[in-house]
Parts: sequence; structure tokens; C-alpha cells
Amino acid sequence: MAEPVLEVHDLHVTFSTEGGLVPAVDGIDFAVAPGETLAIVGESGSGKSVSSAAVMGLLPSNADVTGEVLLDGRELIGLPNDELRKIRGNDIAMVFQDALSALNPYYSVGWQVAEAYRLHHDVSKKKAHQRAIEMLDKVGIPDAARRADGYPHEFSGGMRQRVVIAMALVNDPRVLIADEPTTALDVTVQAQIMQLLEDVQAEFGTAMVLISHDLGVVAEVADDVLVMYAGRAAERGTVRDLFYRAAHPYSLGLLGAMPRVDVPPKLRLTTIPGSPPTPGSITTGCAFQPRCAYTDRVGERCITERPELTPRPGEGDHEAACHLGRRPSDV
Amino acid sequence: MPDLVWFIVRRLFAALIVMLALSLAVYLVFYAIPADPAHLACGKPCTPDRLEQARHFMQLDQSTLQQYLNFLKGIVAGRTFGDGAAAVHCNAPCFGYSFPLARPVTTLIMDRLPITASIALGAAVLWLLLGVSLGVIAALNRGRILDRLAVGVALLGVSTPSFLLGLLAILVFGFWLNMVPVNGYVPLTESPVDWAWHLITPWIVLAILQAASYIRLTRSQMLEELNLDYITTARAKGAGELRVVVTHGLRGVLVPVITLFGLDLGGLLGGAILTEKVFSMQGLGDLLISAVGQLDVAVVVGVTLFSAFLIILANLVVDVVHGVLDPRVSHG
Ligand SMILES: Nc1ncnc2c1ncn2[C@@H]1O[C@H](COP(=O)(O)OP(=O)(O)OP(=O)(O)O)[C@@H](O)[C@H]1O
Ligand code: SF4
Ligand SMILES: [Mg+2]
Repeated sequence: MAEPVLEVHDLHVTFSTEGGLVPAVDGIDFAVAPGETLAIVGESGSGKSVSSAAVMGLLPSNADVTGEVLLDGRELIGLPNDELRKIRGNDIAMVFQDALSALNPYYSVGWQVAEAYRLHHDVSKKKAHQRAIEMLDKVGIPDAARRADGYPHEFSGGMRQRVVIAMALVNDPRVLIADEPTTALDVTVQAQIMQLLEDVQAEFGTAMVLISHDLGVVAEVADDVLVMYAGRAAERGTVRDLFYRAAHPYSLGLLGAMPRVDVPPKLRLTTIPGSPPTPGSITTGCAFQPRCAYTDRVGERCITERPELTPRPGEGDHEAACHLGRRPSDV
Repeated sequence: MPDLVWFIVRRLFAALIVMLALSLAVYLVFYAIPADPAHLACGKPCTPDRLEQARHFMQLDQSTLQQYLNFLKGIVAGRTFGDGAAAVHCNAPCFGYSFPLARPVTTLIMDRLPITASIALGAAVLWLLLGVSLGVIAALNRGRILDRLAVGVALLGVSTPSFLLGLLAILVFGFWLNMVPVNGYVPLTESPVDWAWHLITPWIVLAILQAASYIRLTRSQMLEELNLDYITTARAKGAGELRVVVTHGLRGVLVPVITLFGLDLGGLLGGAILTEKVFSMQGLGDLLISAVGQLDVAVVVGVTLFSAFLIILANLVVDVVHGVLDPRVSHG
């Protein structure tokens, strides 16, 4: 892998709530290089969004963040808000799941894209507006000069997400974090938006962190994958490692849960039985144990000892956190 | 923009219809009151002949519907009561004629309006600024001491009767400390400084009382607003906290605040009855109260309609401001 632009080491996020401490992210590592895509996958509540918010420094004040977030080797955790502000939207930008709620209903889309530009460039409003139109045009909004004066509610879902992408890319960021950018869209529009993200990424050499539920999309666009379960990494590796050599029972479960057109209907969508634990409820052993189909083959250890990431066969740094030494499919 | 113009035209039309319906209702209600203005005008002793004369002169011998139509016509074209040398003219827009006061109601209203408007507008500016800024400060310091303080002030404000606070203010600042005048009104055109000086106590009293609901509304609205996704977007774009709150947060807060403000102001312009009484100012509220006391139906109808008109106007302005503030309303 080329020199990473964003590196995250041993990231922990703990919320203090009325119900006690919630360890939403419990020690994860990842890195992403220019032009490459890292996908973070995992069920709802596994800590994907919290991790990306931690990278952006956007967590509420009840969150305690430790670990390292390095942008070009520069530590971001603990930076004063004023310094972080200069990085947000400029070096690291975000695309959100629901473009309708992510855009401010009271301002025209052109204004909002121009604002993102003006926040980091000392230019006139007119210049910024020009730049916004350029960007809207680039993300495929027809008649961008005129549409720039429109308000979010006047756009279709797909067009709105294009606006959000234009807003995120207007400062040519080094890292783009896309948190389920297509979940709110129709299937055909989903494909268009993913294509757009791939295109702009190729053009600008942006490093992308793609958070997604959709393994089909991940298989198509990601280089590396991080599988998260209950705030921890279950498995990480290249996209081929995950799809051909999945080493963690949870990853296998996810793959089985992926709707596939090439598999007969009966075998489709084998969802993992049970539901993920609430953060912090399982403190010893493997968090996946209550749902794991392979725990019998391992025995006691799954309950008493927490599995750490260990190297697995594959391309480069394939790792999984499971006591099962061999690939589950070989057992 | 044409969207907005069309929107305003539609609202104007709707307002006109409401006005008409309302005027009919007010007219019918007050003329159903068994106080005979002719009887009052005719004096004592009142012979049936003179009573009939007075009725005819005041056009009360016509059918109620005809009277209402006369009233409407008067608004547009003016009215004349009687004829010859004794004729009484009421120029358009004529909202009735007060025979006891021997003045057109329009003139009476216009004489009193500057006083009420001075009280209301000055207080309104104060309470809007005070309420919104305290509300925002409270929201940004949620749960902390500043928040508690602002919420406490708001609670005190809504639960204090205006006359009580007014009398207290007069007592303390007017009589004991002798800082401000205790009553009276000086027209703005005469001396702007004296004008403001005579109004400062009612302004502050009204502002404190009214600001309370604005603090609460602004606070709760801002707290909701700050949880919205587009606020996170603004932060993710690199906007500073001030910009996040003012540019992105306040807009959504102002929409409901302006609604409340328009209605409060519209209501107050129709006469700040208690405040005018406490500070002995002869505004519209005072006019209405004395008219009720003297059974001067023409004035009661005129002032009531005028107040209603102000509220409808305020609604209209609120709608238009909504349209300007929220593109989802005007660019439907
Ligand atoms: N402000 C907060 N206070 C307390 N707990 C929080 C807070 N924000 C998130 N959490 C908890 O952190 C955990 C991880 O949430 P997160 O939003 O990262 O999940 P996710 O993986 O993005 O899920 P999804 O796929 O549904 O988006 C959840 O259990 C959530 O309840
Ligand atoms: S450690 Fe045990 S329980 Fe956990 S995933 Fe591996 S086999 Fe299953
Ligand atoms: Mg999420």
C-alpha cells in the first residue's frame, strides 16, 4: 500500500451517559492511502459512524476519545477546535446518508456549496459562487448555473446527494468519508452515485472511507475492508481477502446475508441469528460468541479470553480476531 | 421571486375575505347590544319625536343590513349624516361617527394610535432582542448556570401580572428613585428624547413580561435545531461555532419566533389596555375602555375592528416573512 494519508490507531470512544459509560468504539485501527478506498462494514450500532465522527472531531462533548488519528502524520486528537475547523471540510470532508436532512433547507444549494469553499478560501462571494457552479456541474447537475439558485427541497434524492458530494469535494479534500452515501436512494440512483464517487476519486486521487451496509457495493469499489463488530475490528484485509478468504465467523455471516443474484432464492439472505450486543455489555471473551455457529469448535476460550487480531493467510495484512485458527469454511 | 409575489397576492386576497367576514360579525354583535345610541344622543327629557329624529339622523332607522352596508360604504367613500347646515361629515375611510364625542371614529383612532404604537413598537423591539438573545444563550449553555438563570427569568416573567410589575416600576424608578417620569406622553415629533424618556418604563415593563415567552420558545427551538443533521454538516464543512449557531441555527429558530412576534405585536397595537391604564397614557386601549363605559357603540365597533384589522395585518406580514425566511413555504 502507498503511504497512507489517514491513519487511525487504537481508537477508543467512550460516551458518558446517564446509564453509565458506553464504549462505542473499543480500539480500532485503519489506514487509507490516496486514491484508495477503505470500506467499513458491520451491523447497525457497531460504531462505524462514531468512528468517522471521531476522525472529524465532531463528537458531542460527552464523548471521550483516545488513540491516534494521523492526517499526513499529524495528530488530530486533542487539537484545539480552531485548528480542527481548518481541517474539517478542507482536508477531510464528509458525505452523509440523508442528503435532505444534511442540507440546510433555508439556503440555496449554490450558496451552501459556495459557503464550503469560502470557509477555506479567502475569495469574494461571486468567485465562490462561480466555483460552486463549476462543482455542481462536475457532479452532474444539469444546467448547474440555474439550478444553483434552487433550494434542497426542489431537488430529487439523487440530485441532492450530488449536491452534498459537490459540497464535500469543493475544497479538493485529501480524505472523503462517505457514511452510507446511497442508503436513502433508489437502486438505480445508488449505482449512479457510487459511480460518481469512484469517478471523482479517480480524478482527484482522494482517499475514501466508505461506510456501507451493502457488501455488493463494497465488493465493487473498495480496496480494503474493515469489518466492525460491537466497537471492535472483527476482521480486516483486502476486499479479496474478505470475499474469498473470510476468516471470521461474523464476516461469513455478513457475506451469507448479502443478497446475491447468482445464488438461488432459497439460499439468499441468511441473516445472522440474534442481534448485536449493546456496547460494553460483553466484557470478557468474544463479543460475537452468543451468535457464533463455530464457538462449539473452540470451546471455553470464546467465553473467557477476548480474541485479538492475528495474521491470516491472504494478501498483505489480512487479520481476524477469532480463536478459530483455521478458516471456518475448512473446519 | 415571482413565486413570492404571487404568494403575497394570494395571502392579501385571503386577508381581505377574512376582514369582511369579521367586520360583519363585529357589526352584528355590537348592534345587537340593547344600548340605543339614539336614546343616549337624544338626551333628557326625550320625546318620542326627538328620538325618532335622532334615529333618522344617525341612520339607525334603517335595516341592520342596510346599516352595515352604509358602514362599509363609509369606509370606501365616507358618509354624511343629516343634511343642510346640521349635516355631519365623516370622511373616508369612515369607521363610524361618535355622536357623544362629536368626532369621526377614524379621527379618534388616529389621534390615539401614535401613543399605543409608540408603546408597542418600542417594547416589541426590546423584547424581541432580549428574548431571542437570552434564549440562544440559554440553549448554548444548556443545563449550566446561564441557562438556569434565563429559564428562571422567563418563568418569573410569564407569571407576573403586567399591572403589578408596572406599578412596582413606577413606584421604584418614578417615585422613590425619581429617575423617570411617572406618566404622560410627549409626541415623537415634539422631542424624541422626551418621547423615549416618558416611554422607557412601560417599554421595559412590557419587554420583560413579553420576553419570557420568547426566551422559552427560542431556547427550545434552538436546542432542537442544534440536533439537526444540517448543523452537523455545517460543522463538518469547517464552520466556526458562531457561524453554526447564527447562520445555520438561528434561521430555523426565527420562523416560529416571528409568528409569535407578529401576533403579539398585532394584539398590542390594538391597545395595551393595562399598560396604558397603569402609565396613564391615552392610547387606543384607553379609548376603547372609556367608549365601553359610555356605551359609545360606534367607537367600540371602530376600535374593535381596527384591532382585528391589525391582527389580520400582522398575520399577513408573518406569512410573508415566513415566505421570505423559508423557501419551502414560498417555493412550494
Ligand atoms: N452521543 C451518544 N451517546 C451515547 N451513545 C452513543 C452516542 N452516539 C452513538 N452512541 C452509541 O454508539 C454505538 C455506535 O453507534 P454508531 O452510530 O457508530 O453505529 P453505526 O455502526 O454507524 O450504525 P448504523 O449502521 O446504524 O449507522 C451505538 O450503540 C450508539 O448507541
Ligand atoms: S472467537 Fe469463538 S465465538 Fe468469537 S468468532 Fe471466533 S469462534 Fe466465534
Ligand atoms: Mg451510522
